[in-house]
Amino acid sequence: MNFGIILPLLVFFPMVGAILVYLIGRKNKEARNNWACVVTFLTLLGAVLLFGKHASFSIPGFCGLGLNFDGDELRVVMAILASFIWFMTTVFSKEYFALYRNRNRYYFFLLMTLGAILGVFLSADLYTTFIFFEIMSFTSFVLVIHDESEAAIRAAQTYLGIAVIGGLVTLTGLFMMYHMAGTLNIDALAKFVAIQEDKRAIYAVGVLILFGFGAKAGLFPLHVWLPEAHPVAPAPASALLSCILTKSGVYGMLVLSCKLFLHDSNWGNLILILGVITMVLGAVLAVFSIDLKRTLACSSLSQIGFIAVAIGMQGLLGSHNTFAAAGTILHIVNHSLLKLVLFMSAGVVYMNLHRLHLNEIRGWGKDKPLLKFVFFMGVLGITGIPFWNGYISKTLIHESIVEYIEILHEAGQATAYMQSVEWLFLFSGALTLAYMAKIFIAVFVETNPYPDKNAQHNMGPYMNKLSAILLLLCAVILPIIGVLPHITADKIAAASYHFMGAHAPEQGVHYFAWVNLKGAVISVAIGSLVYFLFIRKVLMAKDDNGNLVYVDRWPKGLNLENKIYRPALLSWLPFIGALFARLAGSMSDGFIALLRMLIFNDDSGRVIPPEDQYFSAYTDSDDDKVVYGEGFAKSLLMIGIGLAVAMLYILL
Amino acid sequence: MSGNTILLLPVMLPLIVGIIIGFIKNEKQRNRMVFITLAIELALVVYFAMTEGSVTVWHMTNRLSIAYHIDGIAKFFACIISIIWFLAGVFSMEYMKHEQKPARFFMFYVMSLSTLVSLCFASNMMTLYLSYEFMTILTFPLVIHTQEPQAVRAGMKYLGYSIFGAGLGLLGFFFLNTYCITTTFAPGGTLNYALVGGNENLLLLVFFLMAVGFGCKAGMFPLHAWLPTAHPVAPSPASAVLSGIITKGGVICIIRVTFYLMGADFIRGSWAQTALLCLTLITIFMGSMLAYKEKLLKKRLAYSTVSQVSYVLFGLFLLTPVGFTGALLQVVFHAVAKNILFLSAGAIIYKKGSTFVNQLRGIGKEMPIVMWCFTIASLSLVGIPPTGGFVSKWFLAQGALSASLGTFAVVGVGVLMVSALLTAGYLLTIVLDGFFPGNDFNYETMQKKEPNYLMTIPLVILSVAVVLLGIFPTGLETFINSISGVIF
Repeated sequence: MNFGIILPLLVFFPMVGAILVYLIGRKNKEARNNWACVVTFLTLLGAVLLFGKHASFSIPGFCGLGLNFDGDELRVVMAILASFIWFMTTVFSKEYFALYRNRNRYYFFLLMTLGAILGVFLSADLYTTFIFFEIMSFTSFVLVIHDESEAAIRAAQTYLGIAVIGGLVTLTGLFMMYHMAGTLNIDALAKFVAIQEDKRAIYAVGVLILFGFGAKAGLFPLHVWLPEAHPVAPAPASALLSCILTKSGVYGMLVLSCKLFLHDSNWGNLILILGVITMVLGAVLAVFSIDLKRTLACSSLSQIGFIAVAIGMQGLLGSHNTFAAAGTILHIVNHSLLKLVLFMSAGVVYMNLHRLHLNEIRGWGKDKPLLKFVFFMGVLGITGIPFWNGYISKTLIHESIVEYIEILHEAGQATAYMQSVEWLFLFSGALTLAYMAKIFIAVFVETNPYPDKNAQHNMGPYMNKLSAILLLLCAVILPIIGVLPHITADKIAAASYHFMGAHAPEQGVHYFAWVNLKGAVISVAIGSLVYFLFIRKVLMAKDDNGNLVYVDRWPKGLNLENKIYRPALLSWLPFIGALFARLAGSMSDGFIALLRMLIFNDDSGRVIPPEDQYFSAYTDSDDDKVVYGEGFAKSLLMIGIGLAVAMLYILL
Repeated sequence: MSGNTILLLPVMLPLIVGIIIGFIKNEKQRNRMVFITLAIELALVVYFAMTEGSVTVWHMTNRLSIAYHIDGIAKFFACIISIIWFLAGVFSMEYMKHEQKPARFFMFYVMSLSTLVSLCFASNMMTLYLSYEFMTILTFPLVIHTQEPQAVRAGMKYLGYSIFGAGLGLLGFFFLNTYCITTTFAPGGTLNYALVGGNENLLLLVFFLMAVGFGCKAGMFPLHAWLPTAHPVAPSPASAVLSGIITKGGVICIIRVTFYLMGADFIRGSWAQTALLCLTLITIFMGSMLAYKEKLLKKRLAYSTVSQVSYVLFGLFLLTPVGFTGALLQVVFHAVAKNILFLSAGAIIYKKGSTFVNQLRGIGKEMPIVMWCFTIASLSLVGIPPTGGFVSKWFLAQGALSASLGTFAVVGVGVLMVSALLTAGYLLTIVLDGFFPGNDFNYETMQKKEPNYLMTIPLVILSVAVVLLGIFPTGLETFINSISGVIF
């Protein structure tokens, strides 16, 4: 059997499904919800079928240059991951959206986005990547804005703005890349870049292409949309945004870093620096956040930073990049699985309370052991506690940094730079622990001094059986990967070596050896200190009644979006542009007005046609009366008619 | 008269029937007549597009004559024009119910089609120039249709600018008559190089002036100012064809002069090319920027036309086959998309009377089909895949980069991108407000205001076309390549 045909099917089936589901939804809401699940499940099956087949497929002429799909292992792993998470959230949406408006729209765009994202992950050339990347930006926008609250609209605008700008900059890069190389096929580009002597132009183009992907991934300094957009979207959509959509940006970064700039230390350094900034910044923002979903969103930012660090390390390590490559793919997978659990749990909280502020939801989960367990699994995973999945990938990334320090050491070069990267890495891990502890303790351990009477218990269970099973299932996967890394994680890592240009390791990694546990222990220790000394002392304060409450200590002025991006793009630049455009735009009219003043005016004593007041009346003012039917217009019409008659006479 | 006389049929038919339509008082009969005429015209044009042929109507002197022929450019433009004219005509039947004097409107609407077809089929400069002037005169009543002072003034401005522009064209024609072997169009140009020697700069100046003059119709800076004044005041279907099609009249003239009289080789690398590219880039940016700042919907769309048609001119003046392909693709996609936008604006005015962009909150809930079409057209103008605009932008940018213009190419691509961003800014905001009115939007007072099928069907056909042609542009591309293969 030829498996190639599955590739375009995976992309277009959900899109067709979206239309069908929309039509079904107009008749029967229940059937629609079920069919949406069926569509995502079939997509998941299709993706699983592809594993290990290495199929490929092309549709020539599509959108000009044609579409090319490739099903190598890494791409299929990403596709399986995406469709798995899609399936889970679609099932979860059933309960979450029970009381929402515009659900038909939601399901339509949900499935469209699935098709588009699979198109991104399975693309074999950057043209295909870009086409689906753009479709994805627009369809996912509808998911972000779904609530249509003021905050949602604003956040969605930021999201769309950055997506459009990012898309255009990336497109510019692609124009130039195609012009230089004559192809956008990823493998062909890799060969092309490898033989270039002078890489300066290629670096510039690479940065342009990176712009759009980095923006989607949430890389500094284009991260501003992420902490705004993820919290306002409905929880299943936030899960998708955090788990998968950011990964489409990461996929673009992977294509650039592992194919075009394979083993290129300059490029690796760039990604590493951006990654470190994002990693620390996200973590710090998360520590300060007092909103459950915003904390999770900032955490996503930070975790994307971890992934970027791993990608950067691949470039720096050159051909010794096995650990970094394994760390990259595993952290992508782990972060998706973790954020799925965490965002769905947050969704359950929101579904019941319609609130996310820590002071308001405080203590709500105290008497809900199932939710508490599920969330706790997520917390342990993401903080990198041994025997949970986050530990595996973080260890690998840490290991790759240590390895590079050793290489530098042996070569007798300065290691201070890399050592600071290592410390920042551990510090971000510590902050992860601190902010996760903050939200976990707030929601599931503490009691709320001001219990909200209205929000408590609208009778019945706080979530239905289906959602409960779903959450439990997702949560149980996490320790399984963590406890049995050699039969789970290593397999996934091995699948990606081909794409990332890495060799399989000579020997397995001893994840639970003391050398590797040490990093986790350091992080836990610092993290606890931060929690008890900073969060409890500085970020919490006594209110009027003497109760400790969470306060927002983040300085208002420190906001890149509101202080720089929005003013620059919405006032400063348009002002300059409009000034120029107005000047240019009124030049010819102004010239005529000038002539009218100097030459065609009544005072100059010249003979002017009596009708000139119309012909030269180019101002848009309404002060002078115009009598239609008299004057110049009529004369011209008569001339026209005369000419027409003459023409007719000639022709006939 | 010599040659294939039947070729005159598509030119004469709308002209004659148009006059008759002006005298039909009964609305139903008139609409039927308009429908049949436009349909027959479309069939005729498509039929002739599959054949070749030429006809000489009248020899004025031995060098000047009225003559028609059918070549690639003629087929290409005539097909687009008659398809869109037909669809916009169907839309007008409903729209004109709320305007005065529909008979007069349809009379001139149908008659101007004949001048456009004549412009496409023209086989020499003389015919081209005459058709061009007639086009201006016959579309003038469409602009001043409402007869409000504002409209009349706008009409005069339109007339003044157009005739001035055509005058520049005529001026050039005098020179070309001397310096060309013949003023009958021939791919690659007909310059008589024995005479040209030593006068290159003069001829480049002539070319520059002709391009600026004909560029007036296409809304190119510095003679663009009539466009944002005249398009918004006309009835919406008229604005749609003015913006989508009539502007392309200027494009046809520029193509004929550049590639069929002067020849691309003569102009390539000259100061005139650089100057014209600069003008188009200024126009692209200026149009988008002013559209971004404009609050009146139809005026915003008119500014958008200023910008988008200059994409076409930019592609043409690059003088490369890829740029040419991009330009002609942009002709198609802009014509279709701009018609969708203006017709949607018309549907909104017809049903709701809203003319300002800030009155369109929640419009997507009231008129979903119309706004979906509007959205698709907007995406195409911004250049988002898989719509047509993306494909044309791709070719334009590739054309710019391959034109060996140095850093100028990068500037060009940059301006295209900035303009795309502004386009997103001025079109997508309308879509956002329309579909996502916010949760304080009052759903109770909302009514479905979807217009009837006469309005929606043309919109839907055009929207489907812009997506399908965007996904499968190969056929169009092959056809355009067959044209550019001859002229380069």
